Amino acid sequence: MKLPKLEIFSSDEIKEIHNASMQILEEIGINVEDPGLRISLNENGAIVADDSPYVKFPNDLVKEKLKLIPDSFVLHGRDGDFTAEVNTHSTQYATIGTPVRIYDPEHQRGVRKTVLTDTINQIRIVDSLKNIICSHVDVWPHDVPYLELHCHVIKAWAQNSTKPYGLGCFGRLPSQDMMDLLSIIVGGKNELITHPRLIGFFSITSPLSFSQLMTNGFEVFAKYKQPTILAPEALAGSTAPITLAGLLAQTNAEILAGAVLAQIYNPRAPVLYGTVSHITDMRTGNSAMGSVETGLITAGIAQLGRYYNIPSRGPGAVTDSKLLDMQNGFERYQTLMLAAQAGCNYITCAGSYEATLAEALELLVIDDELVSMIKHTMEGIEVNENTIGLEAIQRVVRSEKKGANFLDDKHTLTQMRTAHFLPALADRNRRTSWRKKGSKDIVQRAREKVNSILEIQRVPPLAPEKHQAIDAFMKKVSKRSYEYYKETEGMMDKKGTVTIDHVEISEDSQKK
Amino acid sequence: MSLKEQLQTAVLDFDENKVKSICKTSLDNKQATAVELLRMIGDVMKQVGDRFEKEEIFLPELIAAANTVKVTIDELLDPIIRESGVKKETKGVVVLGTVEGDIHSIGKDLVGSFLFANGFEVHNLGVDVAPEMFLEKAEEFGATIIGMSALLSISMDIQRKFIELLKREGKRDKFKVVVGGAPTSEDWAKNIGADGWADDAIGAVKLCLGLVS
Repeated sequence: MKLPKLEIFSSDEIKEIHNASMQILEEIGINVEDPGLRISLNENGAIVADDSPYVKFPNDLVKEKLKLIPDSFVLHGRDGDFTAEVNTHSTQYATIGTPVRIYDPEHQRGVRKTVLTDTINQIRIVDSLKNIICSHVDVWPHDVPYLELHCHVIKAWAQNSTKPYGLGCFGRLPSQDMMDLLSIIVGGKNELITHPRLIGFFSITSPLSFSQLMTNGFEVFAKYKQPTILAPEALAGSTAPITLAGLLAQTNAEILAGAVLAQIYNPRAPVLYGTVSHITDMRTGNSAMGSVETGLITAGIAQLGRYYNIPSRGPGAVTDSKLLDMQNGFERYQTLMLAAQAGCNYITCAGSYEATLAEALELLVIDDELVSMIKHTMEGIEVNENTIGLEAIQRVVRSEKKGANFLDDKHTLTQMRTAHFLPALADRNRRTSWRKKGSKDIVQRAREKVNSILEIQRVPPLAPEKHQAIDAFMKKVSKRSYEYYKETEGMMDKKGTVTIDHVEISEDSQKK
Repeated sequence: MSLKEQLQTAVLDFDENKVKSICKTSLDNKQATAVELLRMIGDVMKQVGDRFEKEEIFLPELIAAANTVKVTIDELLDPIIRESGVKKETKGVVVLGTVEGDIHSIGKDLVGSFLFANGFEVHNLGVDVAPEMFLEKAEEFGATIIGMSALLSISMDIQRKFIELLKREGKRDKFKVVVGGAPTSEDWAKNIGADGWADDAIGAVKLCLGLVS
């Protein structure tokens, strides 16, 4: 039988966490920055008080809105041919993170700053991989101005991928640009709404806070019914209670509030019950994404997702290592396997390391193989007359040939391609053969695969008129000022810089 | 479909009877001689070996393909060729076995299949073969190469004893002796005065081709 799902909570424990989260929502509430949104929430039954930034969500409101959330959605690739269903009973694998560095063995430090070419290469690799269904704007292109970044990456995606794409809900203006550009690329707004291409990322600031920039963008994603990941990154011990049950109770409240918000924006807008929460290392205050606790939290999230019947999202293949070393290997496998075993429905972060701050295309292809390996493991051991193979045992043992074995028996011949998982990158040669093939380690072999993909990967070109329309649109975007952006996002009173997912946004970041 | 293509299909279907009937019909119709048929089978097996190296064909298929053609060669083609007195085309004659006191056979069988797929005439003596038997069979089949496998550290000494036997009998120069098996090594082969060592079947083919060139 297939491997049973890892359930880390009893049903009583799940209810205890749920009740605590409902209490948090009803008694503490969520810090909502946007004044307009506060009014709208109030109109929909949330309790808003002038003397508190916290908006309280009565239990009935939460229960009513949760009923509207779809338990599945289908993501489409650029041309609509590629589809991937995300639901509450299967697992899809994707990227995500905001790597600002990329592995580069030629570089003195082993990494260098990421540029648009790296973003494009990452999109092209994902497009060629068997198991990774979606790339998000993982590799941050430092060589394009921030306010135009979303356009550059969407253009790069449209030119290089047939799979869906993902972007953060970074503000109303950029999110609307994304929808407009996508509509040009896929042939209209209606097509985009009915067949979503983009998966959004709504970063929730723990503890219990929705930034205006994020809710601005989230509203646009919900209106266009582009599935959005509700993504608090609560850290046990610093932005959440140190205990994992406490973190889950808090983060569950954050996610549920996000889910309610999506339904207020647009009933039946698809969301993912997600987290990238982990722990703070109490010795230093550093976050520890590759910790065993990350896997436990993800397992808890997957189970909570099932409780609410919403597809869950969690991180896998994450590590704190700064090298492509053994720590990198065991942390990424451990987090990936736990997430998969827990039945998490959308597992992200393939290709990243250094707590998703760094990217290695080599890791991306290795992760694809790890996923194949895990999928094979999850199938368990099938037991039936054929798999027991009693006849084969009799044939071999009773053979007149001295020293007969199973190698050339028909039971082996008919099943040898499917009975076991056959890795493409992991080496199983004997030492002499391995040496003859250049004594390569897995990173070198993965690099060769990356290079061969980059050599051959091509997608059907976009129609010339779509190209022209994209360029005209981008020209318009490039003329906007930082002040205009701040004004549109309601950030005029914000001084200095804004940091979004490790990237500092300021007037300076507008310069190439 | 050409005769060779027909043979190729039958070999890859592991259809022993089909291979035999194709050959028999061709001989009866005088479409091809036994030597020509053997050459065609050799070409098919060479292709199988090449595809194995590219990992298009897996090990069980390679062994099954070799087993599929073996009956036709042993029972139909070889007797005709022997009778006609024509010298059989081969890269070399190999006598192969696992040494006395050792019953491991998979590795040695693989080497046999690989050598066969690469144009050698292979006589597999099986397992637990005494040094005297190696010599007797090598002389009987006119072997160019004697391959000895040992999977146990206690049985590998038989390889050394066999070479000593050849020296005592004054027949050391008559045969090339190659050794293999998990506990053996290149150093071991040099130590006992063997002509070569390989650690896998592909290496064994290269080694033997080098010895007969």
